[in-house]
Amino acid sequence: MPKTTTSMRRQLILMVSMVLICINVLALWGAHIYANRATKVSYDRLLYGAALQMAENINILDSKVFIDLPVSAFETLALSNSDRAFYAIMNSQYQVLTGYNDLPSIPFTQLLLQSTEKEKFIPIYYEAPYHEENVRFVALGKRLLEADKVNDVFIIVGQTLGARQAAAAEINRMALHFVSLFFVITLLLLLFVIWRVLRPLQAIKQAITERSPLELSPLETNVPSEIAPLLKSINYFMAQLDTTLERLKRFTAEAAHQIRTPLAGLNSQAQNAIDETDEALRQKQLQHILESSNVLTNTVNQLLNRATLTHRYQSHPFSPVSLDQLTKDTCRDLVVWALERGVEIEYVGDIKAAIDGDEFALKQMLQNIIENAIKYSPNKGLVEVELMSANELNDAAVVLQIRDQGVGVPDEDKEHIFEYFYRSPDNQASGSGIGLSIAKEVAEHHDARFHLKDNEPTGLIVEVIFPKRTLPKNRYPKPKGARL
Amino acid sequence: MTRSMGMFTCFFVWGLFTLSALAFAEQDSTGKEITVNERRVLSINGAVNCTVIDPLFKAFEAQHPDVTIHYTESNTRDLYERFLSEPETRADIIMSPAMDLQFKLANDGFALAYQSPELERLPSDSYWRNELFGFTYEPIVTAINTDILAADDLPLSREQLLNLIRKKNHLLDEKIGLFDIKKSGIGYLAWIYDGQQSRSYGRLLEAFGNHQAQLYTDTSSMLQALLKGQVFVAYNLIGAYSYQWSEQYPWIKTIMPTDYTSVIMRTAFIYRDAKQPSLAKRFIDLLLSPLGQQILANQSGLTPISPKAVGPYSRDALSKLPHGIFRPIPLGLELLIQTDDAKKQLIYNEWDNAMRPLSERLSSP
Repeated sequence: MPKTTTSMRRQLILMVSMVLICINVLALWGAHIYANRATKVSYDRLLYGAALQMAENINILDSKVFIDLPVSAFETLALSNSDRAFYAIMNSQYQVLTGYNDLPSIPFTQLLLQSTEKEKFIPIYYEAPYHEENVRFVALGKRLLEADKVNDVFIIVGQTLGARQAAAAEINRMALHFVSLFFVITLLLLLFVIWRVLRPLQAIKQAITERSPLELSPLETNVPSEIAPLLKSINYFMAQLDTTLERLKRFTAEAAHQIRTPLAGLNSQAQNAIDETDEALRQKQLQHILESSNVLTNTVNQLLNRATLTHRYQSHPFSPVSLDQLTKDTCRDLVVWALERGVEIEYVGDIKAAIDGDEFALKQMLQNIIENAIKYSPNKGLVEVELMSANELNDAAVVLQIRDQGVGVPDEDKEHIFEYFYRSPDNQASGSGIGLSIAKEVAEHHDARFHLKDNEPTGLIVEVIFPKRTLPKNRYPKPKGARL
Repeated sequence: MTRSMGMFTCFFVWGLFTLSALAFAEQDSTGKEITVNERRVLSINGAVNCTVIDPLFKAFEAQHPDVTIHYTESNTRDLYERFLSEPETRADIIMSPAMDLQFKLANDGFALAYQSPELERLPSDSYWRNELFGFTYEPIVTAINTDILAADDLPLSREQLLNLIRKKNHLLDEKIGLFDIKKSGIGYLAWIYDGQQSRSYGRLLEAFGNHQAQLYTDTSSMLQALLKGQVFVAYNLIGAYSYQWSEQYPWIKTIMPTDYTSVIMRTAFIYRDAKQPSLAKRFIDLLLSPLGQQILANQSGLTPISPKAVGPYSRDALSKLPHGIFRPIPLGLELLIQTDDAKKQLIYNEWDNAMRPLSERLSSP
């Protein structure tokens, strides 16, 4: 059971939510800044308006400043009804002519500085605490002209911040409502989208769970292009599994048959040997039993070998193999065994051949072919093993030839000798009938071809033709078709 | 008139309190009596006739048997000036019909903010910032002693009043009663509002000046003068008192001018540093509650601010009397202009010019 990693859906939702939250927080922050700025500007205008209306009604009369404040100025201030308002009108000596006489931090210097530079006074806004509340003030100057006299007065109007804060809070609240609604709607839509996009995966899961465990035909579910490779892999995996199962089934059946028959023979031979009274005959029978047992052992070994190889095909990556060295080693290993049978092995050829492949499997192949050749060689026979580069064949890089001087194989048998457990009807030599088929499988596994030719004057030439194009390193080979 | 003379104090006693203990409390009104008598005292300074507001005090003391209300009554202007000049006399609650002065105090931060639950039931323009609470709705009226009319119609508007003055001419010399706007806060409030509202303001001022109008500091003395025949016309009175007077003396007619009828609100606020803030809040609650408003409508003669209260003095009853458009003086920043010194000086100058004796005016260039 693989470990459950985090769910894709949950991750998507989490990320989408995080992105949404980020966006919404940004939006709220923006709205907050906007709200503060907008209310500041609009309420500052009210203040300025009130100050202007006051300034309008300040005149100079007989060298005296005459102030008749208009109601409208206060009505303007009253537009932010829940705020306190304070004001003062001061002359150029900073004496309060009317209004509050203790307004804080009035920026006279700034006002005067401006008045010298420009004819018109520019309002100056500032905030200061007054009567235990923060108050936003506007200070405005007015130049009163009479004859050749210049008289400046200052108008300071202040208001507490309640209305502007309430207005800003109102905008913020609206923004919050909007953003929350936006958030919910977007999230719902995205949840729907995520569900919609992930649905094909669900469909695959559904299709697989609904299958019987033995059904390995490809899935035909419609999926988006991004998921198609996954489906392809699943299908490929199932096909492989199917092949393996099929092969195993047939092989098991054949192997059972091949093992049961000699066992039954052994059994009856042993029975005969027990009953035999003639000592010489019994010795002969026991000799037979031993031979049969050897054949059986051989067969079982080959079967096990083959099982190992089959496993290797699917699990072992290719690595560089020095084919010439491997061939030489194999020949050397078999020399003694061959000499016991009165057969000589000769390695000819001097090329170096490096291919990518499975060394163990290749060795098995070589061993099987050479053993086979030795087995069918007559006494004092010669088995020639030659490795050559085959320039005359376009796609072949290396050709391995094993030539024996045996009886050879009739043409009608040539295509059969690689089949499992096939034995030529005329074949008297002992053998399992597996060796060559294993060799052929290994060759196919390495994209090599087998070729049988007749030797002159008699015998068989087994040719293994390795392609020039070697497989890329460390790639798992593709499985071959179930050709048993 | 000195401040001490112009002010008198009433006490309302409930429960076991003896008169002597009260007198003691009066002498020692710094809060000491709380420890001596283990009773709590809610102090109120007001410019509301204590007989008028009495039923409300009784109701409050009925709700709080351990509380004594210590009420000091004074003229609106005195109330204001004394509040500023003698901080030690500041009571827990300040009540006055002089909206501008009350507003100025609240604007300057003397009021304690209190979100009374009763405010929800009241019109939104009857209070300001949870600090200043209007609790009555009182028209400013004109009272006429009908003896002067002879065969003439009762003047229902300012225009008709001017016509009457013109017609009666010298009969009305020194026979018109007015608030002295320099001494009475309510008089100043009503007069300056006339200045903002009325086209007839200038002509009224001229007519009053020409007939050497008599100046009074409060409605009661003006009504007394009306009764005694010292004046025949009294302008800008507080409606409640005048209507009560009319009921008692039918030849004194009370008129709500049909061109427009100014309406003032009596306002109350809790002093920021009140000694009994929680009691003060409960008193404000009672004042604004349906019960308090009902008491006003039934017993005090003051028209309550709540339109829902019913009774002989309710807003509903008021609107059934002949009247002009009710123009309530807004309880808001507009009132600040009335407290502006420069503005006040202008108004005073104008007023003085109009009101000084005719001979003086004729002699001046």
